[in-house]
Amino acid sequence: MWLFLASETLFFGGLIGTYLLYRDASVAPPCATDCTFDGVTYQGLYDIPFTSVSAFVLLMSSVTMVLALAAIQRNDRRGLQIWLAATALLGITFLAGQAFEFTEFYHEGLALNTNLFGTTFFVLTGFHGAHVSVGVLILLALWIMARRGRITNENALNVELAGLYWHFVDIVWIVIFTLVYLIQ
Amino acid sequence: MVELLTVLLNVKDFFEDPSFLIGIPFVALGALGVLIALTPVELRWPQPAPAQPEYEILDHVEGDHPDAREYIKIGVVLAVITAVEVAVYYLDIADGALLAILLTLSAAKFVLVVLWFMHLKFDNRLLSIAFGSGMALVTALLIVVLSTLGAGLV
Repeated sequence: MWLFLASETLFFGGLIGTYLLYRDASVAPPCATDCTFDGVTYQGLYDIPFTSVSAFVLLMSSVTMVLALAAIQRNDRRGLQIWLAATALLGITFLAGQAFEFTEFYHEGLALNTNLFGTTFFVLTGFHGAHVSVGVLILLALWIMARRGRITNENALNVELAGLYWHFVDIVWIVIFTLVYLIQ
Repeated sequence: MVELLTVLLNVKDFFEDPSFLIGIPFVALGALGVLIALTPVELRWPQPAPAQPEYEILDHVEGDHPDAREYIKIGVVLAVITAVEVAVYYLDIADGALLAILLTLSAAKFVLVVLWFMHLKFDNRLLSIAFGSGMALVTALLIVVLSTLGAGLV
């Protein structure tokens, strides 16, 4: 799992690097922050308060995930179910926020092929969203297994591995939130 | 083939052309990889004791994991750091200082999650080496690409 995560850092590193490289290279609006083309000023698309809440939600999902692992390690199956469900719900909330953000940006005129900002932004955050979606599916599968009593502290390694993947998705967003949204 | 050999054997040109120099670290890395692959020394992978249950293989190698209360404390710290990040974003600070503060806070969150929630602090060192190698490579990639292709962060 750790080798897989190491390879994933390179994958996201490439996407983040590409975004930063082409951040101010768009020759057409809209932009991430306020920009001017042909004497016309366009308002930036980023909504920092909204994204901050999304980042907070994903961060807290890491806390609930690790609490799920702590629960099954002391053979608390009820606790495992509750914390797994909470983590999946927080993940779904994050995805809903991302879907809302993407829709808003699209209505403001930004598509995948509008400009370099659109391409690099949607590819980076889209791939992250895809990873979160896979994580939510894994969590839901674990939750169903836990409800059926198929997870005990004997095979808690399954929860630990899912947790590693989930925390990785969270740390990628920690980096994206800072490098893409806050540093402009 | 003869041209290729001429180029390869012309060491002087190789070192005079700066564009070739960037390949040296990669050649060194490749040579190191070949040496490791061919070495007769056996690498010491962690060997689980036969009686241990599967879960114990990666866990409890270096020590016990923290309890739930400790995880919640770290969660509160992470939430506070995120709040500080957003607050700093709205303050009127010079670009360079803002960049330094935000990167430091982000790195602190990253390290807290990796060491405590992902248990790298407590697990086998081999896992830290595996993940650290990926992190080192991606950091080098970002530094080289962003500094040479001129993506100024400030």
